[in-house]
Formats: sequence, C-alpha cells, structure tokens
Amino acid sequence: MRHRMACICSAFLIVPLLCTSCAKKTDPGVDAQVTSLGSVEVTAELLEIPGEVRNDPLYDYAHVVKYKVLTVHRGQVDKDVIYVGQYNPAKPRDAAADARVGQIGGNLRQFRVGDVHRLAMEVPIDDYYMGGIINKYFGQTEDPVYWALWTNRVVR
Amino acid sequence: MAARRSPCICLSVVFLAMIAVVAVSQIIVEWRQGDSPQIAELFRQKPTRANLRRLESSLESGCRIGQTVRPWMQFARFVLLEDAGDNAILGRDGWFFYRPAVQYLIEPWSPEGGQTQGNVFDAIISFRDDLAKRGIQLLVMPAPNKASVYPEMLTGRTRKETGSVNASTREILVRLKQEGVEILDLFEVYDRAKRVAGSPACYLAQDSHWSPEGMRLAAEAVANRLLDLGWIEKRATKYETRSAPVERHGDVLRMMRVPQVERLFEPQGMDCTQVVDAETGQLYADDPNSPVLVLGDSFLRIFERDEPGSGGFVAHLASNLGFGLSSIVSDGGASTLVRQQLARKPALLKDKRVVVWEFVERDLRFGTEGWQRVPLPAPDGSG
Repeated sequence: MRHRMACICSAFLIVPLLCTSCAKKTDPGVDAQVTSLGSVEVTAELLEIPGEVRNDPLYDYAHVVKYKVLTVHRGQVDKDVIYVGQYNPAKPRDAAADARVGQIGGNLRQFRVGDVHRLAMEVPIDDYYMGGIINKYFGQTEDPVYWALWTNRVVR
Repeated sequence: MAARRSPCICLSVVFLAMIAVVAVSQIIVEWRQGDSPQIAELFRQKPTRANLRRLESSLESGCRIGQTVRPWMQFARFVLLEDAGDNAILGRDGWFFYRPAVQYLIEPWSPEGGQTQGNVFDAIISFRDDLAKRGIQLLVMPAPNKASVYPEMLTGRTRKETGSVNASTREILVRLKQEGVEILDLFEVYDRAKRVAGSPACYLAQDSHWSPEGMRLAAEAVANRLLDLGWIEKRATKYETRSAPVERHGDVLRMMRVPQVERLFEPQGMDCTQVVDAETGQLYADDPNSPVLVLGDSFLRIFERDEPGSGGFVAHLASNLGFGLSSIVSDGGASTLVRQQLARKPALLKDKRVVVWEFVERDLRFGTEGWQRVPLPAPDGSG
C-alpha cells in the first residue's frame, strides 16, 4: 500500500518534469532589442554563477557571471570566455530594470548554469553602470567585464 | 483506536496536499511560461552550499502563490503584532529602522573575529598607503547607523548616552586614528546637533539614510576638515542653493514590499536644497578633473542622483569648497566594491589630491564582500 502511494506521488512530480523538458521548441532568442541594443551581441552558454546571488531588499547589485561565447553576431569579442555583469539576476529580466539602470530586459526568467542566452551588451561595465558590482573574478583576470543590456533565452 | 487515527491521517493528508498544491501550481505556471520547472535545477548542478542557497532563494522569490499571499500575511502581522518583517523594525512615533543596522548595534562582535571577509584595518590602511604613494590624502568618514544616533527612537528603554553607542565602532575609530588614518567622526557632529533644542533630525524617520539636515552637516564638517588640514584650498566657483522639497516614503518602509502597510503612512516631507552654479544657473554636475574624489554608498546617492537631484552630499561639499568634485557611488558597496571600481579605472585618480571615503557604519561588520585588500595599480602603470 505504502509502496503504491510512493509510486503515485513520485509520478505526480516527475511526469510534469519530463513533459516540460520534452515539450520545448527551438528558439534562437532573437527580438528587436537584442539585435539593436548595445555594441556587442553574442549567443553564449552560462558557465558559472560564482557565489550566492544577493537578493537584498535595500540594494541592487550587478553580479558578474562567466559565459562561453558560441556565436558573435555583432561587435568584436576576442575571447571564448567572457565575464558579464547581470543586474539583479535574482529577478526575471523583464522585471530587473529600474530608474537607475534604464533599459535592461529580455525574456529570460531564471539564470541557470548550462543554459544558452542571446545577449546584447556594452563594454566595459564601468562606463555604463555606476553601482554595486559583485565580481568574484576581481583580481583573477584582466579581461573586461561586459554589461548585459538584453538577455534572451535560447532553446536549441 | 482506528477512530483516533483518522483525524491524524486527515490532518497529515491536508498538510501534504497544501505543500503539493504550491509545488504543482508553480510547476504548471513555469511550464505555461515555457520554462522548465525550477525545482529541476536541484538535479542539474552540484549540490554545493552556494547552489542550494541560490535555488532556495530563487524558489522562494519566484513562487506565485507566495507572491500573492505574502503581502497580506505581512500586513496582518504588522497590524496585529507591529512586526515589520525580516528586514525592518518599527520604532517609536512612526520611525522605521533597518534590521541589520539594529543587529549591528545590539549584538556584540569583534572586528578581529573573522566575521567579515578580509580585515577592516588592513583594507583601510593599505588603501591609505596606496593613495599616499600617489601623493593623495585620504579622509575616512563612517556614516553612523540611524539606530546609533537615535536609539531613543528605537525603544524608550534606551539610556540617553552620548556619541557612539556601539563599542566596536568606537574601538575601530580609535585604532584607525592611532594608525594615523584621518577620520571624520560624524557621531560627534550629530551628537552636538542633537543637543541644540528644536534642531531638525539628522535622519529620516522612514528611511535608513541621513536627512537633508544630516547630509548638510556632514558636508560642512568634511569641507571644514579638508580646509583646516590644508589639504585643499577653497576656490572661487560660486554655487547657490535653491529649495527643492521632496515627498516620498522612505526606503525601509518601501523595502517591506507591502503596499497595504505603505498606505498606512503618509509620505515623508524632506526639505531638500539643490546646488546650482550661480553663473550658469545649471544644476551641480561632477567635474572629472577635480582634485577631490568622493567614494561612497547610498548615502552619497540620496538627494544627489535620486530626487531632487544635485542636492546630496557631493553637491553640498562642492558648494562648501567652491569647486566641482569627482565621485564614485556604489550602493551598498562602500567597503570593498567601490575600491574595486576605482582599481578598474585608476585614471580617475589622475591629478587628485584628496579622496574622501564614506561608508555606512554597519558595513564594518556586514559590508558586501567584506573588507578585502584592493591594491591600486602602481602610479606609473607598471603594476
């Protein structure tokens, strides 16, 4: 009896997970903003979100995360691995913007390592954003930090 | 026996069903948005502490049922129990306090206790020394927590002590002074101001920051100190101030994210003044070629970049000194992040003679990214 109940409960949780993971269509993440904002546009895989993402009710931070560049669509990117500042990554991109940062957005809802994003960016971050930048890579690399303006989800 | 077990089983089933409803509804919501369920993340990455905490926080903030129910629950807690939530504390006469600042005030801690990443003394002294190599002087100005200046507005049971009521802050300031670091002690400034009968409060009732009056006192004290030390001479640019009153709810109240509670309080009026160039009539704007660079956190942002604009600490300090200043503002990041920002752009130090570094008192313990040593590139660009 117990065994049957456990099976039913597991199925109740696992079946939707399987259904959702099988039901995706491909999507290159193209829209009017990602193809026009900023001076650099790439498709890149999120390699690492170092440390904990601060979700501070009083302050808003940009967190520097690491991407592997898959395709460069616009601008010049010399490295395979780039460091990108994402503003308030705990929030969906369409809810991250505020009066201080202006046009930030995209259709990405959650940042997950391994996912692929299409990004419109500027560089270096300090020229476009003045505020708290949590950069766990500080001192480890001299590479410039990009500032993500628009981040769309890519489904391959 | 069976009859006694029935209510237990029933309650257990109801309890489990409530949990399941939240999980399943969230999965359905995410599915309809075209996302895979966030809980699947649990199996997609290593279960490290950071990953698990990030997932937990993400699940908590992304839960649709939670987003709907939470404000009403918090409203009920506020009305019935005067509980202002995880991050705020309701004081007396409509004063709100930021909980970490109160925690800083009442919990014993030691700056040497390893509670922060890095060491506050090493960070400040090495920064002072790096600047000195470039011929730049450093003035450090911790901005007191509101609860440290107005403990009597937190609770009527507090004793009316003078000056800083936090022993650790006092110990840090004394030790830094012994190490030859120039400190501007705003605790003394505000203590003197509080003794003047009828003087306006130095802090905003609903906000974690200083009031226009507290900001003006700080700007005046810094200007006087810089001139007294002979680090800088007053110049001739004439600035005027013009009244720009602002009304809004304070950040501690807004931080609760409960509109129902906000509606219980009137927006707070603030007697702001904007700084204007007397010749051009233009609002104050920073000068990148200034001999003075100001670093700090949201205490520099308030009134300056927020409304009314050009009415904050930097503009008023410029007005007192008679010339424009450079500034770097890192909200919630004046312990380490603002120095990292400076290290990424060392050109900002060109032709500088003085750096004024403001950080809020509670950052001594809770500063974002702690108090890391952030070496500045060598003046000749070799390092």
